[in-house]
Amino acid sequence: MDKVNTKKSSEVTNLEISSKGLSRRDFFKKTGAVSAVAAASVIAPTVVKAEDDHAIMHHPKWGQSWGDPVTKNKYGIPSKYEHNVTRRYTQLLASGNARASIAVAPIHESDGIITPNGLFFSRSHGGTAHVDPNEFRLMINGLVEKPIVLTLDQIKQYPRVTRTHFIECPANGGQEWRQPQYNSLQFAKGFMSCAEWTGVYIKTILKDLGLKPEALWMLAEGSDNSEMGRSLPIDKVLDDAMLVWGQNGEALRPEQGYPLRLLVPGWEGNLCVKWLKRLEFGKEPWYAKEETSKYTALKPTGKAAQHFYANEVNSTVVIPSCEKPWTNIKDGDWVEIEGLAWSGMGTVTRVDLSFDGGNNYVEANIKGLVLPKCWTRWSYMHQYKKGEKLLLTSRATDDAGFVQPTVDQEVFGYGVKKADYGKDKNKGMGVESVYHRNAVETWEVNEKGEVNHVQIRTV
Amino acid sequence: MFKLEQYKILTASLVTVAALSVAQADETVAYNGLWNAKKDISGGVYYPIKDGQTGPYKVNSQVYKDSDAVNNESGVKVGYNNGRIPTDNELKAWDKDINGLNEGLPEGSGYVDEGEALYEAQCMMCHGDFGSGGGGYPALSAGKAKEIKRTLTNNRWLNPTAEGPSRVFGSYWPVASTMWWYIRDAMPHTKSKTLTDDETYALTAYMLYINGMKVDGELVTPSFKLDREKFMKIEMPNRNGFVPDIDGPNGLENVRTYYANPDNYGAYRLKKGEEPCMKNCQQTDNIARVDGGITDFEPPMSVARDLPPKKEDAAHKVSFDAKAAYEASCTMCHATGVAPAAGDKTGWAPFMEKAYEKVLKNGLEGTNMGMPAKGGSSLSDDEFKQVVDYMLKF
Repeated sequence: MDKVNTKKSSEVTNLEISSKGLSRRDFFKKTGAVSAVAAASVIAPTVVKAEDDHAIMHHPKWGQSWGDPVTKNKYGIPSKYEHNVTRRYTQLLASGNARASIAVAPIHESDGIITPNGLFFSRSHGGTAHVDPNEFRLMINGLVEKPIVLTLDQIKQYPRVTRTHFIECPANGGQEWRQPQYNSLQFAKGFMSCAEWTGVYIKTILKDLGLKPEALWMLAEGSDNSEMGRSLPIDKVLDDAMLVWGQNGEALRPEQGYPLRLLVPGWEGNLCVKWLKRLEFGKEPWYAKEETSKYTALKPTGKAAQHFYANEVNSTVVIPSCEKPWTNIKDGDWVEIEGLAWSGMGTVTRVDLSFDGGNNYVEANIKGLVLPKCWTRWSYMHQYKKGEKLLLTSRATDDAGFVQPTVDQEVFGYGVKKADYGKDKNKGMGVESVYHRNAVETWEVNEKGEVNHVQIRTV
Repeated sequence: MFKLEQYKILTASLVTVAALSVAQADETVAYNGLWNAKKDISGGVYYPIKDGQTGPYKVNSQVYKDSDAVNNESGVKVGYNNGRIPTDNELKAWDKDINGLNEGLPEGSGYVDEGEALYEAQCMMCHGDFGSGGGGYPALSAGKAKEIKRTLTNNRWLNPTAEGPSRVFGSYWPVASTMWWYIRDAMPHTKSKTLTDDETYALTAYMLYINGMKVDGELVTPSFKLDREKFMKIEMPNRNGFVPDIDGPNGLENVRTYYANPDNYGAYRLKKGEEPCMKNCQQTDNIARVDGGITDFEPPMSVARDLPPKKEDAAHKVSFDAKAAYEASCTMCHATGVAPAAGDKTGWAPFMEKAYEKVLKNGLEGTNMGMPAKGGSSLSDDEFKQVVDYMLKF
């Protein structure tokens, strides 16, 4: 065995040498620069011409010296050149000294349908709690035959499921009911992210407790500073609601509720209570603060829609964006207009793209995995004409048959004539509901290739 | 422990509704089939477990069997025996919620004027005089609740600069238990769960007072005392301002019915066979643009792939900017008259009588007079001391 190994290893060495020698000879033959002297970082030939790319014509320092040892960064971090790819926040949304606040995800830099854990949008009502997993307990009580207390290890003992779902704050786009506010994709649409979650269906745990027949609602309560609570209908609990500890193959980040959060697929992000502490089953809903004072959608009638759970079908163009415009695209270049579509009410089945702000549409191409209550990528190829003006509007449809409304349809109601806008308060959502805005978004590409966020309205 | 019968009884009420919708729309179970899927309570698609699969996902068939909400089956095959029963004391410690029927509200009492004193010491620095709000913190009052409630029909849909609705406790919130529960468990924001039940009653009483509200027909005055019995009789002006009606045994059915109708929430569901509009859908030249808008992004927007600006290495930090920390974390009280400002020798004099060590200790640990521990900041003890020293430099 030893001999064979030795032989093999020497063969490899010989091969390396000979291939090196060959390429060297080959190189000299071609260039004829027999006497070229290689300076420390300049690749021969030494006479570099103006049209030569410096990036090619010199040895970069990372190629001529030791890189980091594998012992560095035992938990990997992004390249230092990626430092601008971060969550961002604004004073407008910084109430509670940035504790009852939100930092939004850089979706203009997003690829595919997974948000890296460090970029996942972060929302809390009393700051990010840092829970000691050893002191973590989940209590489940109320209308059950047997209340229980579980440690984290005990929860992980149940059969687990892994699902890819987005979480979206229902206030995503909620500052723009009256007019666009952000020339930024990150802020206009970044109150959401998408991840692969691992945990247990609550219905699996309920087998151990014995739900009483009169239980109609579940209270989920966090252990954080705000003791964040929400009521959830039993239907969702017995369908796909999960308790999750895993996010994209690792433990939840503290910002996402480490060590355990509720995941309510497709529904308001606010329902996905973080730093979970207790579930209680009851006959009546609880009227927690975040389901009364907030997360209720005030309509023109003066009545507010409450328990408005699902994030409705939605979409946006991602490439180009205000942040990454087409100013460097050449005349005649083929560009891939790419975007995201999602629906908390089902699976995206179709995305249409308009170049004129929503008057005429073409059907775009859905790409990659198509999963329920999950981000879905779509794209459309376009040959760019320098100086052209475009109004890029995307519109998604889901398998429940819901299609995104225009701005006017959502505000004033479907089928209402322009002359009748605002006359019947029972039609449309008006502009005061804050939450659940899912009208189509439009991105203007101007003659310079710059991108602006606009809304196409008839009034 | 679990019994299938329980599900049957539990969801019996839902069967009727679900069966009804099946009959009306001729719906069959279908994954990715347009206009064809079963609905869940939110109006969305329900993906049952069928043949070892839910939607596109496979499931372990040792654990799950076919599920169908219409037949009251959650699809869970077997139970386990994890965890333990909580002790009575443990339940008492954690099971402290209060619902909209005031179930769970403990005994206790408090006067409006007691609440006012507490408010001024512990709440005003964020929520403003008389709950007026400001600085991004929510307003708690906007005048007499009943009058303010009328603003809820204000809608700026035709006139963007008109007066909008005012959603404060008195004008908007449907029940008062929410306020009591939230004050006790989540307030004051910088040191929650430190108020007694009586203090919580007093603060809630003060909320009723500044909102000009009535209890059992009586207008709340500074000498009003709120106790559990009176709490039950608080009249919330907007009690019926929310749809659908979620209360009582029909609550879930009401939710299901409400969200089965897209007109109720500004949505449109294509009819079977209907295509979305593709040509001449909306002809208009009206492009609404960002006018000023919001641009104070932190960090500032950039997509450059460059090296980050050189920062001081935190591990070798030689100087800490106490003034900047003061401005970021302290000025909301210490520069607004609530507490003495940096360098205000006269203002600090009464505190300094107790000696520097006491002032520092109070700062580090917080006081029940409204000073949050370390000002609610995340500074280290040493950094915090530098801020205190900065503030006490006369």
